[in-house]
Amino acid sequence: MKRRPVTGRDLYFAVAGALLIAFLAVPLAFTVVGTPPELLGQVLGAAEVRRSLTLTFLASALATVIGLSVGVPLAHLLARRRFRGRSLVEGLIGLPVVVPHTAAGVALLMVFGRQGLLGEPLSRVGLRFTDNVAGITLAMLFVGVPFLVTAGRDAFALVENETEQAALTDGAGPWQVFFLVTLPAAWRGVASGALMMWARGISEFGAVVILAYHPKVLPVLVYEFFEAFGVAAAGAVSALLILVALVVFAVARLALSRSADR
Amino acid sequence: MRASARCLLVLVVVLAPLLVGCTPTPPGRTPLVVFAAGSLIIPFGQLETAFEAAHPEIDVRLEYHGSIQVIRYVTDIRQEIDVVASADHALMPMLLYSTINPDSNEPYADWTIRFAGNRLALAYTDRSAFHDEINADNWYEVIARDGVRLGLSDPRFDPSGYRSLMALKLAETVYGVRGIFDSVLRGQFETPITWFWDDGETLISVPELLATKADSRIMLRGSSIHLASLVESGDVDYAFLYESVIRQQGFKMVELPAGVNLGEEALAEDYSAVRVHLDFQRFTSVRPEFTGEPIAYGVTIPSNAPHPEAAVQFIAFLLGDEGRAIMAANYHPLRDPLEVDRYEALPASLQAVVAPGP
Repeated sequence: MKRRPVTGRDLYFAVAGALLIAFLAVPLAFTVVGTPPELLGQVLGAAEVRRSLTLTFLASALATVIGLSVGVPLAHLLARRRFRGRSLVEGLIGLPVVVPHTAAGVALLMVFGRQGLLGEPLSRVGLRFTDNVAGITLAMLFVGVPFLVTAGRDAFALVENETEQAALTDGAGPWQVFFLVTLPAAWRGVASGALMMWARGISEFGAVVILAYHPKVLPVLVYEFFEAFGVAAAGAVSALLILVALVVFAVARLALSRSADR
Repeated sequence: MRASARCLLVLVVVLAPLLVGCTPTPPGRTPLVVFAAGSLIIPFGQLETAFEAAHPEIDVRLEYHGSIQVIRYVTDIRQEIDVVASADHALMPMLLYSTINPDSNEPYADWTIRFAGNRLALAYTDRSAFHDEINADNWYEVIARDGVRLGLSDPRFDPSGYRSLMALKLAETVYGVRGIFDSVLRGQFETPITWFWDDGETLISVPELLATKADSRIMLRGSSIHLASLVESGDVDYAFLYESVIRQQGFKMVELPAGVNLGEEALAEDYSAVRVHLDFQRFTSVRPEFTGEPIAYGVTIPSNAPHPEAAVQFIAFLLGDEGRAIMAANYHPLRDPLEVDRYEALPASLQAVVAPGP
């Protein structure tokens, strides 16, 4: 194969890309490598850290499941239906991504706080959203669900309308069409949106910390270790979070791409 | 060397000086970095405006945290800070005088001006549970009731947190009622806050990892300022806050007796019967212990402050007529007299306005 001469553009693209990768990778790698293994062990051994790890991943998973149950229908509507106010809805869905997450936390507190608009009536039936798992899940849902809806909408939009029509013509019910034709065709986009949402939830700090400082999710714990014990201790928890996130998302991405290759 | 590596090298060499040379300072203005206790957020915000009007050549950059964290930024994170103002002057000797800056081989600070006091009180609103019932005689019983949510600053980060613990213990003596501390706090934390009585003194011990239980009546926050928002939103019914903060926010207030509120100079001896010990074992060499004493805010200039002259000007402004008026207007009057622990170490231009003290 004859090699194309290296142009100025190639040079710039390569250097810009390399710098960006270094910018992203160096802090993460340094945090992991710079943490003494015994400190990492100490942190992993701490019951509070393990509990926080479980809480964070499970709460975000719960938020994602709720997100799937309400986000997938909306994503489908946005992809398939032309209705009045559709672009307004699309803008609204993107809003939580743009709104600073501390502001999202304050907004949620004003509505779901103990004396909030919905918080007060809900507290009378025993539902509370401050300093508990429900609050954490709520915050994660709020900041994460746009990723799911957007990815889902794009995935549904790519499914051929004719295939669905054909299934309907063949006598399939609307639920059957959705679960047997549409969703299988779009599932990879939906799943990758769900993965993004899950990841967003795990990394969320701003909204969670205002609604539910306790029980502490990992980002809050990192902040608290930083406040109470300094950089080294916070670095150790961060390193753990980075490692776990890396493994989990590598596996998930791999699973997604494997099934796509089939 | 491969092409890509070469490219990277070239770009790093070209860009690095640009990146390093970049500072966000407005041209011609000296940036003055001030780290202050959260409870100073309102008066210091006004102080910034007034000071910059008087000194247009200086750009004040204020940042607020719990007081322990304010100091940690100097010693641990090693950020270069010009002025440090904490809600407890005792933190300066404990954490700044005793820590040596490895760059200069000298302590991070060697003097502290005690510039303001305060009183601890209970904040609430007319939406708080039992708000029409609570008073200076029954507050300790009301905040222990089921269904009442109490806001507490984390004693590991914020002086108002360990002061609240002291107040609960002092209340037992003042009211002659045993068990106030336990009735409010027992069973609320995963690892309990414990205390023991030893020869006329009470030593309260705060665990290294402090977390409230799932069904706890207590909401713990890193700084008293966070609690103010929760009082306002109604997510806590009551919170231990400083009187200055309560008045600034316009909350209702249960005034605590002088023997409890840590605001009375004459009661220093009584306050000292209670100590709070932070049980840090794993990650830090510091073993902080606080003895009850009248609340005194402290201000100093770290030895590595990049702009010590501007810092002196800022402190002189705070302690001068305009600063005094701003603090007074925010229900947080300056002390009279202003005292410094090591008079000889104080910059000469500040020596005129303060008196030597213990």
